[in-house]
Amino acid sequence: MLSDLWIRMRALLRRKSVESELAEELQFHVEEQARKYEALGFTREEAWRRARLKFGAAESVKEECREARGVFFLETLWQDIRFGARMLRKSPGFTAVAVLTLALGIGANTAIFTVMNGLMFRTLPVRDPGRLVEILHHYPDDPEPGFNGFSWDAYRRLRDGNHVFSDLFIGSTMNFAPVRADKLQPQTLFVGAVGGRFFQELGVRPAAGRLIGPEDVHLGYHAPVAVVSWSFWKTRFNLDPEIIGKKIVVGDDPPLTIVGVAQRGFYGLSYEARQDVWWPTTLGPSAGWGLPLFARLKPEISVEQARTEIAVLSPSVVDAPDAGPFVHKMKLRIELAGNGVTTPLTQMLSTPLKVLMAMVSLLLLLACANLAGLLLARGASRQHEMGVRACLGAARARLLRQTLTESLLLSLAGCAVGMFLAYFAVHALIRVFASGRLMLGAPVHFEALTSPDIHVLVFTGAIALFTGLLCGAVPALRASHIAPAAALQPGSRIGETLRQRLFGKGLVASQVAISLVLMSSAGLFVGYLLHLRNFNLGFQRNNLLLVTLDFAHSGYDEAQSSRLSQELLMRLDAIPGVSSATFSDMSPMEGPGASSFASAADHPEKQIPVSMNYIAPAYFATFGTPFLAGRDFSARDQAGSPVAIINQAAARGCFGTENPIGKHITLSHITLTKGERTYEVVGVVGNAKYNDLQQAAPPTVYANLPQQSSVHSQLAIRTRIDPDSVANAVRQTEAAVLKSVPIVRIMTMNEQIDSSIVPQRLIAMFSAGFGALGALLAAIGLYGLLAHTVARRTHELGVRIALGASSHSVMRIVLRDALLLLGAGVAVGIPLALWGKSIAASLIQDLPSGSIVPVVWGILGMIAVAIAAVYVPARRAVKVDPMVALRWE
Amino acid sequence: MTDARMELPQGTLDLLILKTLALGAQHGWAISERMQQISKDVLRIQQGSLYPALHRLERRGWIKGRWSASDNNRRAKYYELTRAGRKQLEAEESAWRKLAAAVGNLLETA
Repeated sequence: MLSDLWIRMRALLRRKSVESELAEELQFHVEEQARKYEALGFTREEAWRRARLKFGAAESVKEECREARGVFFLETLWQDIRFGARMLRKSPGFTAVAVLTLALGIGANTAIFTVMNGLMFRTLPVRDPGRLVEILHHYPDDPEPGFNGFSWDAYRRLRDGNHVFSDLFIGSTMNFAPVRADKLQPQTLFVGAVGGRFFQELGVRPAAGRLIGPEDVHLGYHAPVAVVSWSFWKTRFNLDPEIIGKKIVVGDDPPLTIVGVAQRGFYGLSYEARQDVWWPTTLGPSAGWGLPLFARLKPEISVEQARTEIAVLSPSVVDAPDAGPFVHKMKLRIELAGNGVTTPLTQMLSTPLKVLMAMVSLLLLLACANLAGLLLARGASRQHEMGVRACLGAARARLLRQTLTESLLLSLAGCAVGMFLAYFAVHALIRVFASGRLMLGAPVHFEALTSPDIHVLVFTGAIALFTGLLCGAVPALRASHIAPAAALQPGSRIGETLRQRLFGKGLVASQVAISLVLMSSAGLFVGYLLHLRNFNLGFQRNNLLLVTLDFAHSGYDEAQSSRLSQELLMRLDAIPGVSSATFSDMSPMEGPGASSFASAADHPEKQIPVSMNYIAPAYFATFGTPFLAGRDFSARDQAGSPVAIINQAAARGCFGTENPIGKHITLSHITLTKGERTYEVVGVVGNAKYNDLQQAAPPTVYANLPQQSSVHSQLAIRTRIDPDSVANAVRQTEAAVLKSVPIVRIMTMNEQIDSSIVPQRLIAMFSAGFGALGALLAAIGLYGLLAHTVARRTHELGVRIALGASSHSVMRIVLRDALLLLGAGVAVGIPLALWGKSIAASLIQDLPSGSIVPVVWGILGMIAVAIAAVYVPARRAVKVDPMVALRWE
Repeated sequence: MTDARMELPQGTLDLLILKTLALGAQHGWAISERMQQISKDVLRIQQGSLYPALHRLERRGWIKGRWSASDNNRRAKYYELTRAGRKQLEAEESAWRKLAAAVGNLLETA
């Protein structure tokens, strides 16, 4: 056994010496035989001649010896690879097109899969991630996963009342804050307050010092200690062993003392929201509803059983007296957390990624069909060569293997180029993610999505292998089933049976069908995006500049802030190009703001949920929302009783058809001030979208900002010209008036809207790209087939032209082929496109999927593809020179 | 003389090579001469088929090849039996004898 292996290895690796040894051994034999003959009396030449005759043909003996030695599979494989590479080098055009086709298909898949893997599939480096779950509150019909935050009572109730968890422990909150350490610049990082058993339950060990334990967590207060991440220790402290005992300041909280460093590679429960600082949480009523709960399922419990139990326990938590009014409407549910907790990023991206994954799979299929067509055409032109090889004794299996090796080489090359392309695609994806409004200011760790992972490599390798085998299978089978006699006949044309031709045509028609689906999907998503960017929002979205200010550390008191803000507004009004400016607490698409319940003062039983915003005068003029009744806030309101402006929806909800002007409205459970407040309604405005582009405008109550002396961090400026050109002037003015209030962000309203529709932009952008790529590939496939047909029928066309056929009728021949293929592809593609549309509509809410415009768009696209593909072959057909064609036999 | 030569039945070439080598290590030429000698020239062994057989046996680990100097100081590849080869020789020899005895009995009684 071992000697066998050794001999085969030697044969492979030291081929030259093995060969020369064999030659020497046989030579020795012949020499000895010649000597014997010489001794018998023959002359030298005669002796040699006889000796050689007796021995037999040396080459065939050598061949038999080689065979007897056994040839290593690797040796022939290496031969095949070298031959395949040489063949591919000889036809650079074909190789380039094939590799590019594959690269596009494989690269697109790799890009999407990389992001999906980084976001959804990677398990956390914790103990037993498969059984880790988090518990969430969510609205039953809401697609959003919900939030993980419980009160101290709720925690205890769940802990004592469940039978499915082996441990229920308090995890880490997730927020980001500026972190100051040692005189270094503050850095915004993800941080969190953790329960006493957090690190222990997750199996995290300290890299230095100790980790937070139950002794640091108390009722009503917590030990002022902190644990930092390994990379924090490395980048900020250079692995300084003296880190234990240093002080660290998170946000505006009192300083914490560092007691330990978490093990290398642990950054909390999310890859993209990597945490770098943890401190102990505070138990008890003061924790509010901020304790995040995690649990580990008992080994014998399935996720379904746990879900059932949680549904049973849910009322005891959500109906508790200390739960807020919103919570009563929610239910509890369980989510597996082993692959990372749900963060805004995962929430935002999971559906778009699934849609894109479907599209790139189609693109890959298209690329495969394209490549198969190319390989078939190539195989047909190599029949002569295959015939010769079969005649020389090549086994069928060997021919098969050799052809397959070529297509595998192509897919390997396509894989390499594809991974290169995927790198850029992933970064483009990330740029779009990063513009999302929930990402603004957050130190999201996008590298988590792009770092090389074994799963991605395995995936890419697998699809490369799959495409190579799939595309190469039919050509390889055809090549190996060559009938040598027929193939070697001189002048044998590229013989194809009708069935083979139909197969080739079928491939092209399927490419057209898939391309149609891709293009109509692209049309659907791009149309949706255009709609979102242009429909009426209830306010004017163009020429609006939004500025976010940070008053927190300004050092101004209320009166100063108010006075300076007024001055700022006056100075801004004076800038040429500005038509008005105003302050508010929230800007429309920034995110969810304050909310409350409102009722007419004399009908307190009819409460409706409302959104609240605090605004300065001229808000509606700046935003372009029309007044339907009453008046705007004015400077006189500041000293009087509380006034409010409500929108149409709120008016209808609270007051019905009565005129609300002059009446009073009561708001309860206000988040900014405790208890109830009554306002006089002085104006009614039109409904304007708030927080969500797609949901209907909520009933909204606007309170007077200066009157309520509330936080006012949003500045809105309406311009007559392009907002970006005014930005600099705004910056300077603001810096001059509010010297210690930094500008956090300046963006136009359109940019803010864009930041709230990242998933839609993502899908639109990439589906448009994939649609275009698909159309390109289909065009190439169609062109290839038509060119091949013209080449095949050159003789016939020559005869026709010689017999007097006009160029029109010749063109008609080519066009007929093209039209048939187009028709077949479109016929198959339309139902598929419609089916795809209904699937997309079920995945994405509010997708306007009623119209058939996208499908029409797809058909038009295919017609354009056909025209592009048919042009050159048609011209070539017309230009056939009968003399040349008839001579070419 | 040529008429009396017989073709070697399948598979026995290996057995004969192993037996020849049982007497000591030899190179291919010597093996061929010896086999011819001992069979009194009855068996016709194509010299060319000897070497593939030798290489096959070497691959299977029953003989081992070693380059060394021949009696006239030329480099030649000597083959010798390995322990596994010796076992194989015994096994094949007994199988051959059993076969020969059985065929002999059949021929006598029929």
